[in-house]
Amino acid sequence: MDSDRPLVIALRDAGNCDEMIIGGKALKLAQLAAADFKVPQGFCITTWAYQSFIEDNTITATIRMELGRKSMDDMRWEEIWDAALRIRSLFLTHSCSKVLQREVDSALQHLDTSKPIAVRSSSPSEDAAGTSFAGLHESIVGVTGKTAVLDAVRLVWASLWSDAALLYRRELQLDPEQSRMAVLVQEMVSADRSGVAFGCDPRTGNRDLAIIESVPGPCSLLVDGLCDPDRWKVDRESRKVLEWFAGERDLHADKGPLLAEPDVLKILDTLLSIEHRFQWTPDMEWSGRSESLTVLQARPVTTGTPDTDETRQWYLTLRPSDARLRKARRRVAEELIPQLEAEGRELAAMDLDACNDRQLAEAIEQRYAAVEKWKKIYWDEFIPFAHGVRRLATYYNDAVRPEDPYEFVALLQNQPLIAVQRNKAIAALANEVRLDKTLHNLLDELLTEHAGALDWNSARDMFARTSIESIARFVCEFERLTERYLDIVYDEVRLYDTTESLLRNILELARVDGEPANSTASSNSVKALEQRLLAAVGNDRHDEAKDVIDTGRVSWKLRDDDNLLVARLESQLLRALEIGVERLRVDGRIEGKGRPAAKDAESIARCLRDTTATPIQLHASPAELTPSAPSANAGETPRQLVGQPASSGVATGSARLVQGSEDLGKFRRGEVLVCDAIQPTMTHLVPLASAIVERRGGMLIHGAIIARELGIPCVNGVRNATDRLANGDLVTVDGHLGIVTLGSPEFDLELRLDISQARKRVAPVTRCASYLFVVLESIAFFYGLQLV
Amino acid sequence: MSNHDEPLFDDGETKQSIPSVAGRIRSLVKNQPYAVLCVQGEGQPYGALVAFAFSEDLRHAVFATPIATRKFRLLSECNRVAFVVDNRSSHAQELMAIEAVTATGRSVLLGRDGDFDRWADLLVGKHPYLEAFVKSESCALFLVDIVRFLHVARFQEVNQWIPTGHS
Repeated sequence: MDSDRPLVIALRDAGNCDEMIIGGKALKLAQLAAADFKVPQGFCITTWAYQSFIEDNTITATIRMELGRKSMDDMRWEEIWDAALRIRSLFLTHSCSKVLQREVDSALQHLDTSKPIAVRSSSPSEDAAGTSFAGLHESIVGVTGKTAVLDAVRLVWASLWSDAALLYRRELQLDPEQSRMAVLVQEMVSADRSGVAFGCDPRTGNRDLAIIESVPGPCSLLVDGLCDPDRWKVDRESRKVLEWFAGERDLHADKGPLLAEPDVLKILDTLLSIEHRFQWTPDMEWSGRSESLTVLQARPVTTGTPDTDETRQWYLTLRPSDARLRKARRRVAEELIPQLEAEGRELAAMDLDACNDRQLAEAIEQRYAAVEKWKKIYWDEFIPFAHGVRRLATYYNDAVRPEDPYEFVALLQNQPLIAVQRNKAIAALANEVRLDKTLHNLLDELLTEHAGALDWNSARDMFARTSIESIARFVCEFERLTERYLDIVYDEVRLYDTTESLLRNILELARVDGEPANSTASSNSVKALEQRLLAAVGNDRHDEAKDVIDTGRVSWKLRDDDNLLVARLESQLLRALEIGVERLRVDGRIEGKGRPAAKDAESIARCLRDTTATPIQLHASPAELTPSAPSANAGETPRQLVGQPASSGVATGSARLVQGSEDLGKFRRGEVLVCDAIQPTMTHLVPLASAIVERRGGMLIHGAIIARELGIPCVNGVRNATDRLANGDLVTVDGHLGIVTLGSPEFDLELRLDISQARKRVAPVTRCASYLFVVLESIAFFYGLQLV
Repeated sequence: MSNHDEPLFDDGETKQSIPSVAGRIRSLVKNQPYAVLCVQGEGQPYGALVAFAFSEDLRHAVFATPIATRKFRLLSECNRVAFVVDNRSSHAQELMAIEAVTATGRSVLLGRDGDFDRWADLLVGKHPYLEAFVKSESCALFLVDIVRFLHVARFQEVNQWIPTGHS
């Protein structure tokens, strides 16, 4: 070991170390230990060790590539999470040097390894006074054995590049060349009481008060939000407990305070001693009571302005613990989704035509309120539950360490999603059309004759006139399909009213030149992946692993279904609005030819109730009025667009933009599907596509997973994809590299250039130069030389 | 709420303006002194580093070469050329920060009368230390009619720009 660059330093010897070498958390604990505060035994793995690891494994360049793929400002949160996952995988699949392994082994021998160990991040930039990025980096508790400690160390190192840290990359000044991470390895302290304490009121900054919180058990219960703590407000000067607030804990039989007053005052004394010794007001994590009170962590309290970026704050809430995920799973799967389903069914069954105007107004208001309520639930509860899939990703990768960090995605396949069931029903109808020539020809004729104006009622009559049994069956199944799956809103249009599009899709799927893409995952391959995970975690953790897989699957399924179920609810609102608008139009109380949207609910309901109300203006949406202008600069065309390689394979085809309901029926087999984001409402088009290009990025979004399932190349996260590509563009989608190439590699302009025009500028080469060249060339030829 | 799954960071992203490719090309060719000139002849491609200058409208590039060179001979045989200009020397460790542009076109040898002085001044204006070289009797000045530019950034992001008049 290089004595100038130690890889490991005992905590007791680290009090005078540079924060850049052992990080803020470790330094403060080392200083507390040196000042005789009771802290857990431990050692620091220095930033030199981190540096040596990334240099040995040439990780810096890969991080740079990952973060430079596109501007970080253009990355969606899902893409940031993906980048962090790939970086994490990079750390996991490389080993620590033998030297570091020996050093850690030796340091562990000074700890009580009969108890679990905590491996905690100690970033040089994390705990700087005045700013706090606590929680952005990982800490792993309950670790046993040298190998597990080294694994945990790499995970903590990787968390320097966690999704949360990348969100705060500017504040943290993250730079692959400069940023470092130290790690603190400590004995875990187990006590019946733990908590946090602040030398002032952290919410108001009031320095007359100290705030102390306690939970019955380890501090992680409080930090992870799993247990509501008791809380004391204490006057620092008089040392009087001013208030005690009991935590709300179901299982807390004893309703009295968790800490006796002397315990509270002991914690206060410790806070004040730290403040006196280090001259900063502490924010402390503690464990144990009375003489066994141990300081787990202390840093300057932060009472500054909270982060005002709501999106980042919101994102940080999307990282629930396993216990919270299980709770969310029960709530979403067993309560919310069934409720949402039932509400949609109930509203769909209502006969709105039988309502009088007042009843219709009430129905509109009721539906509007229902949509708003479920949108809120969607944001507050459904989206956070999406973390179940991400938890499966990290769990699988931590245990299996696959070369492809998205190998786990196969575990999500073959789930009975509503969209999958719908797509199967569509495929079955297409198969009937493929096999029945009469039906095929009839459908083809119908769609040719009534292009753009097909009315299902007249189509049904026409089908009925044939008196052919197979055709009657098709009509019946088609109507069942639309009833069951198409009563949803896409692009503010009820797909139930756009049967022509679906019939065109069916006809296209039925084209005889080969089967459309089908799921590539066999149940055997999924089983094999499950076995791989179970073998990697070991027998003791089988139940835990199965639970993580199940939660991931339920999360994936419900996060797809919820979109369709909310879209079904929106469809019920739109249905009521359309009936209302029709009535008001008959009465001449609507001006303009626009279609109603959710935003018109209030005015339409008011107008239906009050016949004297001012007529409503219903204008066409701006998009319908003015076609969008091309945004490219003159003479500029993209040749290669870069995104994320979301599903492997290479395909070339004609681009087809799907941006609204009217585009659904135009999609032809073999075209490249270009859209802003593939939604569950339109996944039935995917089997027709030769490839997919999406603006929205992410490896776990609908389009990416369906493309992988069907084996279709997909590149997503392509900035401005729908602006930069146009219908009919020849595009090659490279799903291995994440590249979309436009056009063929031609030189038509160069070959076309009229050189005679260029020649006009040319005068004969000066006599001297021409003569000199001839002479030199002759000499060179004579001596067998080449001119350079 | 057409797209339920579009929670954040997207406002303003979807329709943000695309930085001008022409502007980035202009900046690159203005700030870089040298380019790799690509020529061909006898079925053999050949590359050589040259000092260059572009006209303000980027439709023309000019460079000089001694006439006793391989590139002069190849240019006399085939006037189809490509120029590669890049900033890799400023970003040796950062692949994603490197920008490169390939300009294609046709070269013409400029006679000493006509526009010679104008184009020579443009080249010498950018490379004052080459004045004697450019004006030497044994040096030839080539003007390239640029047909198109292909600009590469972030390793794989490629955009084409065709100066007005060629599309």
